[in-house]
Amino acid sequence: MNPIITLNAVDYAIIAGYILVMVLVGYSLKKYMKTGEDFFLSGRSLPGWITGLAFLSANLGALEIIGMVANSAKYGIATVHFYWVGAIPAMVFLGIFMMPFYYGSRVRTVPEYLKLRYNEATRGLNAISFAIMTVLMSGISLYAMALLFKLMLGWPLTQSILFAAVVVLLYVFWGGLSSSIYNEVIQFFLIWLGLLPIVFLGLKQVGGFAGIAAQLKGPLLHSIKFLGTSNNPLGVDWFGVVMGLGFVLSFGYWTTDFLVVQRALASKNLNSARMTPIIASFPKMLVPVIVVIPGLVALLVLPEFSQAALPTAEYNQALILLMKHYLPNGLLGLAITALLASFMSGMAGNVTAFNTIWTYDIYGTYIRKGRPDAHYLKVGKYTTVVGVAISVGTAYIVQSFPNLMDYMQLIFSFFNAPLFATFLLGMFWRGATAWGGFWGLLVGILTAAGHYIAYKAGLVSYHSDMAANFYQAWWAWLADFVVTIGVSLFTAKRDPKELAGLVFGLTPKPKTHPRWYARPAVWGAIAVAVAVALNVLFW
Amino acid sequence: MSDTIETKGTGTPEADGAGMSHGHVLDLKLPIGWLLSAYGVLLTVYGLVTKKEMYAISLGLNLNLAWGILMIVVGGGFLLAAFLKKGKASG
Repeated sequence: MNPIITLNAVDYAIIAGYILVMVLVGYSLKKYMKTGEDFFLSGRSLPGWITGLAFLSANLGALEIIGMVANSAKYGIATVHFYWVGAIPAMVFLGIFMMPFYYGSRVRTVPEYLKLRYNEATRGLNAISFAIMTVLMSGISLYAMALLFKLMLGWPLTQSILFAAVVVLLYVFWGGLSSSIYNEVIQFFLIWLGLLPIVFLGLKQVGGFAGIAAQLKGPLLHSIKFLGTSNNPLGVDWFGVVMGLGFVLSFGYWTTDFLVVQRALASKNLNSARMTPIIASFPKMLVPVIVVIPGLVALLVLPEFSQAALPTAEYNQALILLMKHYLPNGLLGLAITALLASFMSGMAGNVTAFNTIWTYDIYGTYIRKGRPDAHYLKVGKYTTVVGVAISVGTAYIVQSFPNLMDYMQLIFSFFNAPLFATFLLGMFWRGATAWGGFWGLLVGILTAAGHYIAYKAGLVSYHSDMAANFYQAWWAWLADFVVTIGVSLFTAKRDPKELAGLVFGLTPKPKTHPRWYARPAVWGAIAVAVAVALNVLFW
Repeated sequence: MSDTIETKGTGTPEADGAGMSHGHVLDLKLPIGWLLSAYGVLLTVYGLVTKKEMYAISLGLNLNLAWGILMIVVGGGFLLAAFLKKGKASG
C-alpha cells in the first residue's frame, strides 16, 4: 500500500526541529535532578500555567485527537459530551474540593493517599493495577504512533516504535517529570498551531457552521436533543451519558488518575495546585474546535466518508485524510509534528507516572524500604528504561482492537470507575474504614470485569459498545460505593486524629487567596457557567 | 497571572528543603519561543519561494506564508515575555 502523505525536506526539518528541542530541554533539565522530588514531582516548583497546560495535554494525546475526530465523523456533535459533560465538572471538582487533600497532605502519589486514608492493601491494589494500566496505555500510544506513521508515510512499524521509544527514554531519563511536563506544554501549542489550518480551510470550504448545518442530518447536529432514548448516533441515553460518562468515568479519570493528578502535585503551592485543573478546563472546553469540526468536515468533503462509502469508512483515518486533503508541504510537516509531539508526550507521561508509582508505592514499599533518597532517584531513572521496554512489548499486543478510543474507555472503566467512589467516601465521609475502602474497591473492579464478561457473553445488551462502557462504569461505581459503606459499618473506625489533613471536616480549610482573581472557586464557577452555556448553545 | 502568586509556608519542612530551594530554573518560555519562531521563519521563507500551484489544495491560499508570520508573532511573544522577565529578575 502506498503511503497517504508524501513529505519533503521542509516537513522533515520541522519534525527534526521538534525532536532536537525536546532532547535539548531534557538534557538541560538533567542538572536539576538532585532529589527524588525533583525527578518525580519537579521539585514541587512549577507555576500554575505550566502545570495547567500540562494537565490538559497529558490527556490530549494523539489517540484522543484521532479517536475524537473519528467519533465526530461517526456520532456528530454529540462528541462534545466527552468535553463539556465528561471533563469540565470533574476538573473543577478536583481543583476546588479534592486538591486540598491531595496537595495539602503532601502525598507524592495517588496510591500513597489511599495508604494514609485507608490501608496498605488498598494502596497495593491501586498501585499495582495503575502500574499495569499505565504501561498498557504507553504501549497503545506507541503502537498507534507507529501504525499512523506506517499508514501516512510508509515507515516500518518496528523502526518507528524504537525511534520514538529512544527519544522518550532519553528525555525522561534526564529530566523526569519536568521533561514530561515541558514536552506537554510545547505539545499544547503545536497541536493548536498544527491543526487550526485544517479547521480554517474546512470551514471555509463547507460554508462555515451554516454550511455544516445545511448539509448534515439532525441527529449529527445536536448534542442533547436526541438523548431521550438510546436511539441516537451514540446509542446511549441521557442516563448513560450523564451518570456513566459525566459522573463516573469522568470523575474517575480526572480526579484519581495519577497521570493527570501528578501535574497538579508538581505545583509550587496549594493555590497553584488547585488552579491547575481549573486553568486546564478552559482550553479543554475549546478542544472540540480542533476535533469535532474536522470530523464533521470530513463527512462533507472526503469521498471516503460519502454516504455510499459510510458502512466501510475507516473513521480513525479521518484526520490524516483531511491533512492530506488540505495541507501543503510545510504546514503538513507542522501538523505531523503536532501529532508526533502528542504521541511522544502521551508516552512520556505514562512512563513518568509508571516510574513514580513503581518507585514510591511498589519498590519503596514492598521491595526495599527506608533507603536514602539518592537510591530511589536512581531506581526511578532505571525504571524509566524498564517502563519504555515494557511499552515496546505492549505495543504489539494492542493490534487486535479496532477502535482504540473504546478500548481506552474499557480499561478506564475497569480500574478508574470504582476508584472514584473510594475517593469520594474517603475524602468526604470520615466513617469510611480501612477495610471498607479495600473491599469496596476490589468489588468495584470485579463488578466492572464481571459486567464486561456478561456483556460479551450476551447476558446483558445495549444499543452500542459505548453504552455498555458507560453503564459498566456506573455499576462498578455503585458496587464500590455500596460495599465501602456496608463494610465500613461493621469494621473498626479509624482514630479521627490519624485522618487530619485527609478527610473533609478534619482538615483546616485552605486559606482564601487575598486577590479574588486568583481564587480557584471564582475561576471554577466561571468554568462551569461557560460549560453550561456551551451545552445549551449546541443543544 | 498565577505564577506571580506567592503563598509560602504551606509546605512541610521536608518539602521546603532541598527540593524547593533551587526549583527549576529553565524558563519554558524560551524553548517554546525559539521553536515557534524558527518554525515561523522557515514557513515564511518557504511560503515566499514556493509557487502558487502548490496551494491549490489549501483553497488557493498561501497558508505557509500566512501561518509562518503568525508563528513568528506567537514565538516572538514568548521570547519577549521571557526576556522581560529575565530583565526584571536581574534588575
